[in-house]
Amino acid sequence: MGNLWIALVLGVVFGFLLNKAGLTHYYKIVNVFRLTDMAVLKFMMSGLAVAMVGLYAMRGLGWIEFPAIPATYIVGNLVGGLIFGVGMALAGYCPGTCVAGAGEGRLDYLIPGILGFIAGAAAFGLTYESVFPQISRLAAYGNVTLGQLWNVNSWLLVTVFALMSLILFYLIDHGLIRKDPMAVTK
Amino acid sequence: MNRIRQLFAQELWSPYLAGGLLGVVGLLAVGLSNHLLGASGGFENLAGILGKAVAPASFNNVYFNYVMPAEITWNVILLVGIFFGGMLAALTAGTLRWRSMPDKQWTEVFGSSRAKRWGIAFLGGAVLQYAAGIAGGCTSGLAISGGMLLAPAAFLFIAGMFASGILTAWVIYRARY
Repeated sequence: MGNLWIALVLGVVFGFLLNKAGLTHYYKIVNVFRLTDMAVLKFMMSGLAVAMVGLYAMRGLGWIEFPAIPATYIVGNLVGGLIFGVGMALAGYCPGTCVAGAGEGRLDYLIPGILGFIAGAAAFGLTYESVFPQISRLAAYGNVTLGQLWNVNSWLLVTVFALMSLILFYLIDHGLIRKDPMAVTK
Repeated sequence: MNRIRQLFAQELWSPYLAGGLLGVVGLLAVGLSNHLLGASGGFENLAGILGKAVAPASFNNVYFNYVMPAEITWNVILLVGIFFGGMLAALTAGTLRWRSMPDKQWTEVFGSSRAKRWGIAFLGGAVLQYAAGIAGGCTSGLAISGGMLLAPAAFLFIAGMFASGILTAWVIYRARY
Protein backbone atom coordinates (compact mmCIF):
# COMPACT_ATOMS: atom_id res chain seq x y z
CA MET A 1 0.00 0.00 0.00
CA GLY A 2 1.54 3.28 -1.16
CA ASN A 3 -0.07 5.00 1.76
CA LEU A 4 2.27 3.27 4.20
CA TRP A 5 5.34 4.69 2.44
CA ILE A 6 3.83 8.12 2.97
CA ALA A 7 3.40 7.30 6.68
CA LEU A 8 7.03 6.21 6.88
CA VAL A 9 8.42 9.31 5.18
CA LEU A 10 6.20 11.72 7.13
CA GLY A 11 7.12 9.90 10.34
CA VAL A 12 10.83 10.32 9.60
CA VAL A 13 10.41 14.06 9.01
CA PHE A 14 8.22 14.35 12.12
CA GLY A 15 10.78 12.60 14.35
CA PHE A 16 13.59 14.60 12.76
CA LEU A 17 11.84 17.89 13.58
CA LEU A 18 11.04 16.83 17.16
CA ASN A 19 14.74 16.17 17.70
CA LYS A 20 15.91 19.39 16.06
CA ALA A 21 13.43 21.44 18.09
CA GLY A 22 15.05 19.90 21.19
CA LEU A 23 11.83 18.27 22.35
CA THR A 24 13.53 14.92 22.92
CA HIS A 25 15.18 16.45 26.01
CA TYR A 26 13.62 16.05 29.45
CA TYR A 27 14.33 19.69 30.36
CA LYS A 28 12.69 21.14 27.23
CA ILE A 29 9.37 19.46 28.04
CA VAL A 30 9.39 20.16 31.77
CA ASN A 31 10.57 23.75 31.45
CA VAL A 32 7.61 24.77 29.32
CA PHE A 33 5.52 23.90 32.39
CA ARG A 34 7.96 25.87 34.59
CA LEU A 35 7.48 28.72 32.09
CA THR A 36 11.25 29.11 31.72
CA ASP A 37 11.74 27.69 28.19
CA MET A 38 8.86 28.06 25.78
CA ALA A 39 10.24 25.98 22.88
CA VAL A 40 7.39 23.45 23.16
CA LEU A 41 4.76 26.18 22.95
CA LYS A 42 6.53 27.93 20.07
CA PHE A 43 6.85 24.63 18.21
CA MET A 44 3.19 23.70 18.72
CA MET A 45 1.76 27.11 17.91
CA SER A 46 3.88 27.67 14.78
CA GLY A 47 2.92 24.20 13.57
CA LEU A 48 -0.74 24.88 14.24
CA ALA A 49 -0.72 28.29 12.55
CA VAL A 50 1.01 27.02 9.40
CA ALA A 51 -1.17 23.91 9.15
CA MET A 52 -4.40 25.82 9.80
CA VAL A 53 -3.74 28.39 7.10
CA GLY A 54 -2.63 25.70 4.66
CA LEU A 55 -5.51 23.33 5.34
CA TYR A 56 -8.26 25.91 5.13
CA ALA A 57 -6.65 27.40 1.99
CA MET A 58 -6.31 23.99 0.32
CA ARG A 59 -9.90 23.13 1.17
CA GLY A 60 -11.04 26.53 -0.07
CA LEU A 61 -9.34 25.81 -3.38
CA GLY A 62 -11.05 22.43 -3.52
CA TRP A 63 -7.76 20.50 -3.43
CA ILE A 64 -8.53 18.47 -0.33
CA GLU A 65 -11.34 17.32 1.87
CA PHE A 66 -10.94 17.26 5.63
CA PRO A 67 -10.57 13.89 7.36
CA ALA A 68 -12.94 13.17 10.27
CA ILE A 69 -12.69 16.03 12.77
CA PRO A 70 -11.61 14.71 16.23
CA ALA A 71 -14.74 14.47 18.38
CA THR A 72 -15.50 17.06 21.01
CA TYR A 73 -16.85 15.73 24.33
CA ILE A 74 -15.91 18.42 26.80
CA VAL A 75 -15.44 16.39 29.98
CA GLY A 76 -13.34 13.67 28.35
CA ASN A 77 -11.16 16.02 26.28
CA LEU A 78 -10.46 18.12 29.35
CA VAL A 79 -10.00 15.31 31.88
CA GLY A 80 -7.79 13.43 29.41
CA GLY A 81 -5.70 16.59 28.98
CA LEU A 82 -5.47 17.04 32.75
CA ILE A 83 -4.16 13.50 33.30
CA PHE A 84 -1.90 13.80 30.25
CA GLY A 85 -0.21 16.92 31.63
CA VAL A 86 0.71 15.09 34.84
CA GLY A 87 2.38 12.28 32.92
CA MET A 88 4.17 14.70 30.61
CA ALA A 89 5.59 16.86 33.43
CA LEU A 90 6.68 13.73 35.31
CA ALA A 91 8.30 11.73 32.51
CA GLY A 92 9.45 14.68 30.40
CA TYR A 93 8.01 13.33 27.16
CA CYS A 94 4.82 12.67 25.27
CA PRO A 95 4.22 9.70 22.93
CA GLY A 96 5.86 11.27 19.85
CA THR A 97 8.88 12.77 21.58
CA CYS A 98 9.48 9.51 23.46
CA VAL A 99 9.75 7.53 20.23
CA ALA A 100 11.98 10.17 18.58
CA GLY A 101 14.14 10.25 21.74
CA ALA A 102 14.40 6.45 21.68
CA GLY A 103 15.83 6.77 18.17
CA GLU A 104 18.67 8.98 19.36
CA GLY A 105 19.78 6.33 21.85
CA ARG A 106 17.88 7.19 25.02
CA LEU A 107 17.36 3.81 26.68
CA ASP A 108 15.00 5.21 29.33
CA TYR A 109 12.71 6.24 26.46
CA LEU A 110 13.23 3.07 24.43
CA ILE A 111 12.69 0.48 27.17
CA PRO A 112 10.54 1.62 30.13
CA GLY A 113 9.04 4.51 28.15
CA ILE A 114 7.74 2.49 25.22
CA LEU A 115 6.74 -0.42 27.49
CA GLY A 116 4.77 2.09 29.57
CA PHE A 117 2.90 3.30 26.49
CA ILE A 118 2.10 -0.29 25.48
CA ALA A 119 0.91 -1.06 29.03
CA GLY A 120 -1.25 2.08 29.10
CA ALA A 121 -2.66 1.20 25.67
CA ALA A 122 -3.50 -2.34 26.80
CA ALA A 123 -5.15 -0.99 29.96
CA PHE A 124 -7.21 1.48 27.94
CA GLY A 125 -8.29 -1.11 25.39
CA LEU A 126 -9.26 -3.60 28.08
CA THR A 127 -11.33 -1.06 30.04
CA TYR A 128 -12.62 0.79 26.96
CA GLU A 129 -16.14 -0.60 27.00
CA SER A 130 -16.76 0.32 30.62
CA VAL A 131 -15.09 3.76 30.51
CA PHE A 132 -15.18 5.38 27.12
CA PRO A 133 -18.84 5.23 26.01
CA GLN A 134 -19.91 6.97 29.24
CA ILE A 135 -17.32 9.72 29.24
CA SER A 136 -17.65 10.42 25.52
CA ARG A 137 -21.38 11.05 25.96
CA LEU A 138 -20.87 13.86 28.49
CA ALA A 139 -21.23 17.31 26.93
CA ALA A 140 -20.69 15.76 23.49
CA TYR A 141 -20.81 17.89 20.36
CA GLY A 142 -19.62 15.35 17.78
CA ASN A 143 -17.11 15.92 14.99
CA VAL A 144 -17.46 19.68 14.79
CA THR A 145 -15.05 22.55 14.22
CA LEU A 146 -15.09 25.78 16.22
CA GLY A 147 -16.41 27.58 13.14
CA GLN A 148 -19.42 25.26 12.95
CA LEU A 149 -20.03 25.33 16.69
CA TRP A 150 -19.95 29.12 17.02
CA ASN A 151 -21.30 29.71 13.53
CA VAL A 152 -18.45 32.03 12.58
CA ASN A 153 -16.26 32.11 9.50
CA SER A 154 -13.28 29.77 9.95
CA TRP A 155 -10.94 32.27 8.32
CA LEU A 156 -11.72 34.71 11.10
CA LEU A 157 -10.68 32.08 13.66
CA VAL A 158 -7.55 31.16 11.70
CA THR A 159 -6.56 34.83 11.50
CA VAL A 160 -7.19 35.38 15.20
CA PHE A 161 -5.12 32.31 16.08
CA ALA A 162 -2.23 33.36 13.83
CA LEU A 163 -2.23 36.91 15.24
CA MET A 164 -2.43 35.63 18.82
CA SER A 165 0.53 33.36 18.15
CA LEU A 166 2.60 36.20 16.69
CA ILE A 167 1.84 38.49 19.64
CA LEU A 168 2.63 35.73 22.12
CA PHE A 169 5.91 34.91 20.33
CA TYR A 170 6.86 38.60 20.39
CA LEU A 171 6.14 38.86 24.11
CA ILE A 172 8.01 35.65 24.94
CA ASP A 173 11.05 36.76 22.96
CA HIS A 174 10.96 40.22 24.54
CA GLY A 175 11.05 39.35 28.17
CA LEU A 176 7.73 37.74 29.05
CA ILE A 177 9.31 34.60 30.46
CA ARG A 178 10.35 33.57 33.93
CA LYS A 179 14.02 33.46 34.86
CA ASP A 180 15.05 29.89 35.60
CA PRO A 181 16.14 29.62 39.26
CA MET A 182 18.18 26.57 38.22
CA ALA A 183 19.97 28.38 35.40
CA VAL A 184 23.06 29.03 37.54
CA THR A 185 23.64 25.35 38.09
CA LYS A 186 23.15 24.39 34.42
CA MET B 1 24.10 24.00 -0.37
CA ASN B 2 26.70 24.65 2.28
CA ARG B 3 24.18 26.54 4.38
CA ILE B 4 21.78 23.62 4.22
CA ARG B 5 24.57 21.28 5.32
CA GLN B 6 25.32 23.62 8.22
CA LEU B 7 21.69 23.74 9.22
CA PHE B 8 21.47 19.94 9.29
CA ALA B 9 24.60 19.68 11.41
CA GLN B 10 23.16 22.09 13.95
CA GLU B 11 21.92 20.36 17.11
CA LEU B 12 19.05 22.73 17.87
CA TRP B 13 16.91 24.55 15.34
CA SER B 14 14.69 27.50 16.01
CA PRO B 15 11.42 26.07 17.34
CA TYR B 16 9.63 28.38 14.93
CA LEU B 17 11.38 26.80 11.95
CA ALA B 18 10.92 23.22 13.22
CA GLY B 19 7.31 23.92 14.23
CA GLY B 20 6.46 25.57 10.92
CA LEU B 21 7.85 22.56 9.06
CA LEU B 22 5.83 20.28 11.32
CA GLY B 23 2.78 22.21 10.14
CA VAL B 24 3.75 21.31 6.57
CA VAL B 25 4.04 17.64 7.59
CA GLY B 26 0.55 17.84 9.10
CA LEU B 27 -0.74 19.33 5.84
CA LEU B 28 0.93 16.66 3.74
CA ALA B 29 -0.55 13.89 5.88
CA VAL B 30 -4.02 15.18 5.07
CA GLY B 31 -3.25 16.07 1.46
CA LEU B 32 -1.45 12.83 0.54
CA SER B 33 -3.16 10.20 2.71
CA ASN B 34 -6.22 11.89 4.20
CA HIS B 35 -4.76 10.93 7.60
CA LEU B 36 -4.00 12.84 10.78
CA LEU B 37 -0.57 12.64 12.37
CA GLY B 38 -0.79 10.97 15.75
CA ALA B 39 1.67 9.04 17.85
CA SER B 40 -0.55 7.48 20.52
CA GLY B 41 -2.82 5.66 18.06
CA GLY B 42 -0.02 3.36 16.90
CA PHE B 43 0.61 2.21 20.47
CA GLU B 44 -3.00 1.04 20.72
CA ASN B 45 -2.56 -1.12 17.60
CA LEU B 46 0.75 -2.47 18.92
CA ALA B 47 -0.77 -3.28 22.32
CA GLY B 48 -3.51 -5.19 20.50
CA ILE B 49 -1.00 -7.22 18.47
CA LEU B 50 1.06 -8.09 21.56
CA GLY B 51 -2.02 -8.69 23.72
CA LYS B 52 -3.60 -11.06 21.21
CA ALA B 53 -0.34 -13.02 21.12
CA VAL B 54 -0.15 -13.33 24.91
CA ALA B 55 -3.78 -13.43 26.08
CA PRO B 56 -5.98 -13.84 22.99
CA ALA B 57 -9.23 -14.27 24.94
CA SER B 58 -8.93 -11.03 26.93
CA PHE B 59 -7.87 -8.99 23.93
CA ASN B 60 -10.65 -10.35 21.74
CA ASN B 61 -12.92 -7.37 22.37
CA VAL B 62 -14.65 -4.57 20.48
CA TYR B 63 -11.75 -2.20 21.00
CA PHE B 64 -8.92 -4.38 19.66
CA ASN B 65 -11.10 -5.89 16.93
CA TYR B 66 -12.76 -2.78 15.54
CA VAL B 67 -11.95 0.55 17.23
CA MET B 68 -8.15 0.22 17.18
CA PRO B 69 -7.61 -3.09 15.39
CA ALA B 70 -4.65 -5.25 16.37
CA GLU B 71 -2.75 -4.82 13.12
CA ILE B 72 0.05 -2.84 11.47
CA THR B 73 -1.70 0.40 10.60
CA TRP B 74 -0.69 3.75 9.09
CA ASN B 75 -0.09 4.96 12.66
CA VAL B 76 2.24 2.08 13.51
CA ILE B 77 4.36 2.83 10.43
CA LEU B 78 4.34 6.49 11.43
CA LEU B 79 5.85 5.48 14.80
CA VAL B 80 8.59 3.52 13.02
CA GLY B 81 9.29 6.63 10.96
CA ILE B 82 9.43 8.88 14.05
CA PHE B 83 11.99 6.53 15.61
CA PHE B 84 14.27 6.65 12.57
CA GLY B 85 13.67 10.36 12.13
CA GLY B 86 14.92 10.98 15.65
CA MET B 87 17.92 8.79 14.88
CA LEU B 88 18.68 10.57 11.60
CA ALA B 89 18.50 14.01 13.24
CA ALA B 90 20.84 12.89 16.01
CA LEU B 91 23.22 11.42 13.42
CA THR B 92 23.39 14.69 11.46
CA ALA B 93 24.30 16.59 14.63
CA GLY B 94 26.58 13.86 16.01
CA THR B 95 24.48 13.43 19.16
CA LEU B 96 23.49 9.78 18.66
CA ARG B 97 24.70 7.71 21.59
CA TRP B 98 23.28 5.11 23.95
CA ARG B 99 22.53 6.51 27.40
CA SER B 100 20.22 5.36 30.15
CA MET B 101 19.59 8.64 31.99
CA PRO B 102 18.12 11.96 30.79
CA ASP B 103 19.84 15.35 31.07
CA LYS B 104 21.39 16.98 34.14
CA GLN B 105 18.24 18.75 35.21
CA TRP B 106 16.62 15.39 35.98
CA THR B 107 19.53 14.29 38.18
CA GLU B 108 19.50 17.57 40.07
CA VAL B 109 15.88 17.07 41.01
CA PHE B 110 15.40 13.31 41.24
CA GLY B 111 18.95 12.13 41.91
CA SER B 112 21.02 9.68 39.90
CA SER B 113 19.06 6.49 40.61
CA ARG B 114 18.39 4.66 37.37
CA ALA B 115 15.64 2.56 38.96
CA LYS B 116 13.80 5.74 39.91
CA ARG B 117 14.12 7.22 36.42
CA TRP B 118 13.08 4.02 34.69
CA GLY B 119 10.16 3.54 37.09
CA ILE B 120 8.88 7.06 36.46
CA ALA B 121 9.49 6.69 32.72
CA PHE B 122 7.31 3.56 32.68
CA LEU B 123 4.60 5.00 34.90
CA GLY B 124 4.58 8.28 32.99
CA GLY B 125 4.21 6.44 29.69
CA ALA B 126 1.28 4.38 30.97
CA VAL B 127 -0.47 7.47 32.38
CA LEU B 128 0.11 9.44 29.16
CA GLN B 129 -1.26 6.68 26.96
CA TYR B 130 -4.36 6.06 29.09
CA ALA B 131 -5.04 9.81 29.18
CA ALA B 132 -4.65 10.06 25.41
CA GLY B 133 -7.22 7.27 25.10
CA ILE B 134 -9.75 9.17 27.18
CA ALA B 135 -9.08 12.50 25.48
CA GLY B 136 -9.16 11.10 21.94
CA GLY B 137 -5.50 11.65 21.10
CA CYS B 138 -2.18 13.02 22.32
CA THR B 139 -0.03 16.09 21.67
CA SER B 140 0.28 15.22 17.98
CA GLY B 141 -2.97 13.35 17.29
CA LEU B 142 -5.31 15.71 19.11
CA ALA B 143 -3.55 18.97 20.08
CA ILE B 144 -1.84 19.54 16.72
CA SER B 145 -3.92 17.48 14.29
CA GLY B 146 -7.22 18.49 15.85
CA GLY B 147 -6.16 22.07 16.44
CA MET B 148 -5.17 22.59 12.81
CA LEU B 149 -8.73 21.62 11.81
CA LEU B 150 -10.07 23.96 14.54
CA ALA B 151 -11.60 21.13 16.56
CA PRO B 152 -12.70 22.42 19.99
CA ALA B 153 -11.52 19.10 21.47
CA ALA B 154 -7.91 20.07 20.74
CA PHE B 155 -8.06 23.36 22.60
CA LEU B 156 -9.77 21.76 25.61
CA PHE B 157 -7.03 19.14 25.67
CA ILE B 158 -4.26 21.75 25.41
CA ALA B 159 -5.82 23.80 28.24
CA GLY B 160 -6.03 20.72 30.48
CA MET B 161 -2.52 19.60 29.61
CA PHE B 162 -0.93 22.97 30.45
CA ALA B 163 -2.98 23.47 33.62
CA SER B 164 -2.00 20.15 35.16
CA GLY B 165 1.51 20.20 33.66
CA ILE B 166 2.23 23.53 35.33
CA LEU B 167 0.79 22.32 38.63
CA THR B 168 2.77 19.07 38.50
CA ALA B 169 6.02 20.85 37.66
CA TRP B 170 5.38 23.27 40.51
CA VAL B 171 4.86 20.40 42.96
CA ILE B 172 8.01 18.60 41.78
CA TYR B 173 10.26 21.65 41.70
CA ARG B 174 8.83 23.65 44.63
CA ALA B 175 11.62 26.08 45.69
CA ARG B 176 13.30 25.65 42.33
CA TYR B 177 10.15 26.29 40.30
